[in-house]
Formats: sequence, structure tokens, C-alpha cells
Amino acid sequence: MIAQEVLNEWYPVAMAAQIRAGQRRVTQLLGQPITVELQKGAIVVTGQGGALHVTEAYGHVWACPGTPAHDLFPIPEALEPCRRLVDVGVVRVKCSPLRAVENFLDIAHFPFVHTDVLGAEPHTEVNRYEVQIREDSDEVWATKVTFYQPQAAKSAEGGIVTQYMYRVAAPTAAVLYKTCPNRTDAWDVIGIFVQPLTEELCDVWPWMALYDDVTPQAELIAFQQMIFLQDRSILENQIPRLLPLDPGMEIPTQADLTSIAYRRWLKKRGLTYGAQMVAA
Amino acid sequence: MTPRWTATGLSQDLPKGVVMAGHWQGHDLAVWRSATGRLQAWNDRCPHRGMRLSHGFVRGETLACIYHGWVYGAEGGCKHIPAHPALTPPATITVTAFACVEQDGVIWVAPADMAGSPPAVSGVQPLRSVSLTCDLAAVLAVEPALLGQDILRGTVQIDGQGHDVCLLVQNNPAGLTLHALCGVRANKVAASHWVENLRRRAEMKVAA
Ligand code: FES
Ligand SMILES: [Fe+2]
Repeated sequence: MIAQEVLNEWYPVAMAAQIRAGQRRVTQLLGQPITVELQKGAIVVTGQGGALHVTEAYGHVWACPGTPAHDLFPIPEALEPCRRLVDVGVVRVKCSPLRAVENFLDIAHFPFVHTDVLGAEPHTEVNRYEVQIREDSDEVWATKVTFYQPQAAKSAEGGIVTQYMYRVAAPTAAVLYKTCPNRTDAWDVIGIFVQPLTEELCDVWPWMALYDDVTPQAELIAFQQMIFLQDRSILENQIPRLLPLDPGMEIPTQADLTSIAYRRWLKKRGLTYGAQMVAA
Repeated sequence: MTPRWTATGLSQDLPKGVVMAGHWQGHDLAVWRSATGRLQAWNDRCPHRGMRLSHGFVRGETLACIYHGWVYGAEGGCKHIPAHPALTPPATITVTAFACVEQDGVIWVAPADMAGSPPAVSGVQPLRSVSLTCDLAAVLAVEPALLGQDILRGTVQIDGQGHDVCLLVQNNPAGLTLHALCGVRANKVAASHWVENLRRRAEMKVAA
């Protein structure tokens, strides 16, 4: 039995452009078969019990199998006219959807997993940053995160100290804001939207809203895909596959404050699909 | 099941500065050799976020996790957390160590409190390890000359001549691994083909 709290959330299920182009996507959501397709000009998601609630945003189709507890989270930057919106495509990962989100929130792995790109030894220190669960939006936010990066973005030349903000906007969707190499007054926005196929299998859709009108689209996509494939080699080799919400299973440090808050937030809200509650 | 020594690899396949995946009766292990040649076998799970340590990297006398670079030294104690370079990691952060010894060119593992030495396999030289998708019964069915349970031994035909072979049996989650050794007079290339052939015959036996 899947908890009602889980069913009442929004999940990404397809790239909107592909469905609009007439493709039909037969896939799974929370272990149930679903179909995403165009019917009379409208995107429809059908499950075993009939039509699911659907909304389209940030290049993706989102579905809610229960009764939506709220609207899909906003990303105001997606509406800014000068930004380039980039769909990176899908990466299938054999891990809990929650582990995929948690990895996205983590900076301490940059020097070891994204070596010489998002981080490099000896610049491994994670400085103290701030984490809060915002009451108004019920989101997890990490702010004042800084990290030294050899090549922070496709458009970055040489090493810089990058500033980050992280935001968990939905149980399986997170957004980060990072220093934009081309502009001092704006943030690049990168999201990951994770489709929970089952508790131990997910489709991950990275998405970007950037100030970069120079780099060719294909290069932006290749850069982000390279990063995510490096993450996948980690995600498929964590034991256990499910995300442990029991504090005794793993050993967090101060650098893991975002992940601690994410786990607490999931537990408090009963969003335990893909989580392991007690030590096995 | 009574604890016993299990062969998890051949010495020749684990050079200095390298880590590989190993198994002891259903437990996944990270087996590694330090820069000076010290051999260790640990539980294949980093206590931080559960990453497999067999994907990590050896630096000097330590093994580091590939995810966040936590460094583990002798007996599995955490020595360094790169995200907090000034911090001395609490002594409670440790990886469980297994007993690991090298004998006759074979790497043997057992629980840390295991008494005694691994069984001796004398008169043979290390050849190669091979993974099979079938079970032991299929191997014994296609090569009746091999006798034993954990250690199969017998005289088999290699290049038209009888040669002594020894297969050390390792059951792991994905199937069966055999660590093969052969008589010192056997041609290693021919013996290696014989092992490969044995694998094919045993797997076909199951498929048939
Ligand atoms: S999981 Fe090993 S260092 Fe983080
Ligand atoms: Fe990463």
C-alpha cells in the first residue's frame, strides 16, 4: 500500500515536447503502469484506474496519481525571457528516487566524482552553510553554500568559488541556483526531476535555465549528461538501494546538513516511497 | 553455517595499490593491497553514505571512498574526512575488517575472529579465476574426475595428457566463481583454455 501523502504529490512522467510531437510514452509511476500521450491536442496520462491529474511545466509533463495536495511548485526563473531552457533528456538509474535527489543536493562529492570539473583536490572543504525548512512553501532550502570549482559550467573559464542555493521543491524534484559565470547579478538554475518508476528504479530528467547564449545546445546537454553519468556510477552502488531514514544507518557530518533536512522533511510528511524506515 | 576460509581471488590479480570486489559467504567485501603490499579485506560499504568501497582508490597505506573521499587506514578506522580537513574523525567511524591472508598464491578471507590458517593447496600453481552462471552440481556433472566440495581436485585431460588441477569454490550473490590452479608441469595457456571450456560445458549443461 502506497501512502496517500505519496499519491497526492506531483511527479515528472515525460518530456512535454516529445509527447506534443506525437510520441506515446508507456512507463511506470510508483510501480504502476501508465501511458502518456496526446489526445485531441491535450496531454493525457492514463493509469490502471483511469486518468491522472496532469500539468505541464518546465518542459515536462507532471502527473499526480491521487488528489493533488497543492499546485506544482513554481520556478519563477523559468519565465524570465533571456534565459535558455535546456531539457537534457532522460537517464535511467537503478536506485531509489530519493537517493537521486539527495545526491543532487550534495557538494562534498564534487572533487571525487566530478574531478577537475565541479571540484578538485585539495579544495575539498565544505564551509558551513544554512539550511531551513521554509514554513510558507514547505520546502527545504540550503543557502550560503560555497565551493571552489575548476570548471563550474560549460561557459566558465578557469577555477572560481561558486555560490550555490539548493531547494527541494517536491519529494522527487530539486532545483539549484548557482553563480552564473557570465553575469554577476543572476543565478543559473538547474533542476532535477525524478520519476519514481519503482522504489529502486527511476528516470532522472536534468533541466536547465541558463544565461548562456554562446555555448551550442548540444554542448550544454553533453556537459550536463557527463556530470550525471558520473553521478549514476555512484547511485547504482550505494547500499542499501533505499534511502535510510533511520539515523543509525549512516553517518552524516556538518557538510550533510541539506541531506539531513531532506530526510527529516520526507519523514515528517510521510513521503516514504523509496525510503527504508528501520535498519535492515 | 560454520565459518570457514573462502578463496576470494588470486594474488596475481591484485597488484599493489589496487582494490577489488570480494565475497565471503554472501557478504560483499572490498579487498585491497596497499602501496607497500599489505593486504586487507573489509565490508564493502562506506559508513558515511553506503557507497561500495571496492569502487574506491588506494593511496599509500589507506583506502579512500570514491563518493566523498573519506580515508580509511589500518583495521578500517576513518582517518580523514575531506569535507572537514581540520577534523579528527571520531574513533567510532570504522569499516568492519575481515581476516585476509595470502597462501599458495591465493587470497583467502574469513570473519575477523577466525582461528587457524586456510587449507593448504600444494603442488599446484595459480592459473586464473572464472565466474560461472551455473551451480557447482553442473561443474561436477561435466567433469566427474573432480572431487570435493569447497576444493575440487583431480586429474583431467589437458592437451591429451593427464594433469592435476585444483578449483577453489566461491559462492557469491551473482553465481559461482572458481579459482583455478594447475600442476606445475602443465602448460598454462592450455590449462587456461581447459578452464574456459569447463565453464562453457557446465553452463551449457544447465541450459540444455
Ligand atoms: S559514502 Fe563514502 S565517503 Fe561518503
Ligand atoms: Fe554529482
